Amino acid sequence: MQKGPADPAIKAKILEYLAKVQKAKSRDVAVAIGEKKGDVDNAVKELTAEDLVEYLYITTTFICLKGKVQTPQ
Amino acid sequence: MTEKKTPLLDELEKGKWPSFVTEIKRAAVKNAASAELLQVLEKSYEQRRGHWKHGGIVGVRGYGGGVIGRYVDEPQNFPNLAEFHTIRLLQPSGWFYNTKALRTVCDIWEKHGSGLTNMHGSTGDIILLGCKTESIQPIFDEFSEAGFDLGGSGSCLRTPNCCVGPGRCEHACYDTLEACYNITNEFMDELHRPMWPYKSKIKFSGCANDCTSSIARADCSVIGTWRDTLIIDQDAVKEYVADKFPIQVAVCDKCPTRCLKYNKETQELSIVGEDCTRCMHCINLMPKAIQPGKEKGATILIGGKSTIVQSAFMSWVIVPFMKMETEDDFEPFKDLMRRIWEWWDENGKSRERIGETIYRLGMTKFLKGIEVDPVPQMVFRPRANPYVFWNQDDLDSSGTALDGSKL
Amino acid sequence: MAKLDQGPPHYKKMLPPVILENYGKWKYHEIPSPGVLKHVGESGVLYSVRVGSPRLVSIDFVRDLCVVADEFCDGFLRFTTRNNVEFLVSDEAKLQPLLDSLEAKGYCVGGTGASISNIVHTQGWVHCHTPATDASGVVKAVMDDLYEYFNTMQLPAKLKMGLACCLNMCGAAHCSDIAIVGVHRTPPRINHDMIRKGTEIPSLVASCPTGAIRPDPKNKSVIVNNDKCMYCGNCYTMSAAMEILDPKNDGIAILIGGKTSNARSAPSFSRMVIPFLPNTAPRWPETTEAIRKILELWIANAHKGERVGEWVERIGWERFFSLAELPFSDMLIDDYIFSRETFRTSAAFKY
Repeated sequence: MQKGPADPAIKAKILEYLAKVQKAKSRDVAVAIGEKKGDVDNAVKELTAEDLVEYLYITTTFICLKGKVQTPQ
Repeated sequence: MTEKKTPLLDELEKGKWPSFVTEIKRAAVKNAASAELLQVLEKSYEQRRGHWKHGGIVGVRGYGGGVIGRYVDEPQNFPNLAEFHTIRLLQPSGWFYNTKALRTVCDIWEKHGSGLTNMHGSTGDIILLGCKTESIQPIFDEFSEAGFDLGGSGSCLRTPNCCVGPGRCEHACYDTLEACYNITNEFMDELHRPMWPYKSKIKFSGCANDCTSSIARADCSVIGTWRDTLIIDQDAVKEYVADKFPIQVAVCDKCPTRCLKYNKETQELSIVGEDCTRCMHCINLMPKAIQPGKEKGATILIGGKSTIVQSAFMSWVIVPFMKMETEDDFEPFKDLMRRIWEWWDENGKSRERIGETIYRLGMTKFLKGIEVDPVPQMVFRPRANPYVFWNQDDLDSSGTALDGSKL
Repeated sequence: MAKLDQGPPHYKKMLPPVILENYGKWKYHEIPSPGVLKHVGESGVLYSVRVGSPRLVSIDFVRDLCVVADEFCDGFLRFTTRNNVEFLVSDEAKLQPLLDSLEAKGYCVGGTGASISNIVHTQGWVHCHTPATDASGVVKAVMDDLYEYFNTMQLPAKLKMGLACCLNMCGAAHCSDIAIVGVHRTPPRINHDMIRKGTEIPSLVASCPTGAIRPDPKNKSVIVNNDKCMYCGNCYTMSAAMEILDPKNDGIAILIGGKTSNARSAPSFSRMVIPFLPNTAPRWPETTEAIRKILELWIANAHKGERVGEWVERIGWERFFSLAELPFSDMLIDDYIFSRETFRTSAAFKY
């Protein structure tokens, strides 16, 4: 993962992409928005600290917009 | 507390071995969720099936793991188990504790959770078994205040662990406790913020006895070894002889490479150093007389995992010897791990452990990807087929022209 | 806000003075009696007293351990890779009083040297979502039955056992001397209504490691190709509509001969010798009996120092099946991905 502050433009692109899907692997997000995986991971780190994105663990870990995917029933 | 009967579970309070049922009952006296757990478990024993569901989002702000969601399948009947999540805490290296630290864990867990724990989980963490969603953040805040941190869950670096090492073992070829502590701290992002195709584990064993079973259970196994020849103390050998220890039968005859010779006349043990594979057998049997060599370090192996999905893999040798003595020596290891994870992250499919990715794409591609040169220690034996994927750019250096000249 | 990424507590704070003084300077160790380790360092001696634990314990159990450690060990103890507890005694004068106190309180001292240590196990019915059997209960039944081999050191070699409650094989069951593995034997039963009500079908299809699940757009559900399913329960993790638990058909398989140590022979996988035993809760008599039989056969036939797998490899698996009087069936012949290496490609064998 990259270190240091994330690029605000990448953060915005991630939020925009996650708004269109239920959930995604961060690699797929990186491919979809055409950014480096390490930069996406770093941006996700900030977005989760800001409570905008959260991790979701169902057989593997996905990311999604905070509150978008509900826990079982 | 409810006084419902648990006749089947009660059968498991009989016998000499300490009973987990007794432990759940002890927790049940103080905690309604643990009392209901007894009822659910009794029901499982009657019906011979589990009653738990997995999943969803449970976590603390800023982390993507450390908490595993669990929900009972009949919340209407067991309201206190509607949410019964697991929390993983990073254990101190080697699972050493002072009682103050242990009591702190107990006190915080008594306040917010079921009062049930696993000391420890298979990966190594302290496992706190059963709390509500609303309690997770307060639990983390209090543990954080007390100097504890969450372990790994999900597609991340799982909590590394290590053997007792130099803390209490004469065999340790490197400081497993410090390596585990230092390297865990180095990879906090990788541990707390899952970003990979699947989980990845590191285990540190101080010698080839591999007490953490790293070769079977860790994607990266770091196994202590030495590069020179083991050291024999002939005076101590004579003491074993005086004690009637059967050196020939128990040690020399069982040596896998027969590299140890015992001379009955002189009562001396000698070794053909270049034949020794450093398996630890003789050292295990004669610790007072035989020691690892002086040039110590670790072998790095990659790819170990359990059965799901493509069968179980043992880790493969990638680096036969790496020095691991000082903090500076950890740097090349950390660099190697970064290259390995980057390659896997780039090439791995979702839910594919690194061993499976290497197997699917080929060891050769992996080694090129992580810039490690091939050495014979990596294989038991070379390939038996001629189907080499020749690198077309390298051909001219080995071919010859029709007139016999080098190309 | 809580401190993030502070990592584990520092181990040095958890070490008794005798360990700090002899850190990395241990010379050798002995086992004066079952459950007691004596480590001799350059400047001191440490005794460790090993005590069995059910692993699933209450905080009161942990607090009881603390009382013992405070009284005899200056407040220091540790846990082992196999979930046992070790009381760390720096003062030799306190060793016997500690042992007496442990005996009076009913703790089980043992698990050292040529003995059974604790059985590494998973969560089972207590907390797992795809278990084919319980974990703690089977372990309790087996350890009760084999207790005489825990508090003595009369086995040919050390015996490491593992239990995994389903065929995902969590824990190290795949490389244990004797492994107890929960097995599902039937493909998932699909609740189509539940799937239609909100399961994300692409994720469900993707969850199957063998590609046995495909979408069924007509029914807005999925179809399982039973021939491809190996009953791992991954789909059940993704959706409760894929019922994998099957009380009538779930049970236990026994695998033996694995090890992870490199001593003498290379680490090896456990191999299946009994494909199925019923889930006879609460005490699994078929399982405890089967394990005892294998164990006693090993004791009677192995050379001193031979792990279970080393013994079986020496006498040959075909000979093991004769001696153990265990039926051999097609279920024991591998037909998964890496099967070829298990087929005999030699005309030399025994009966």
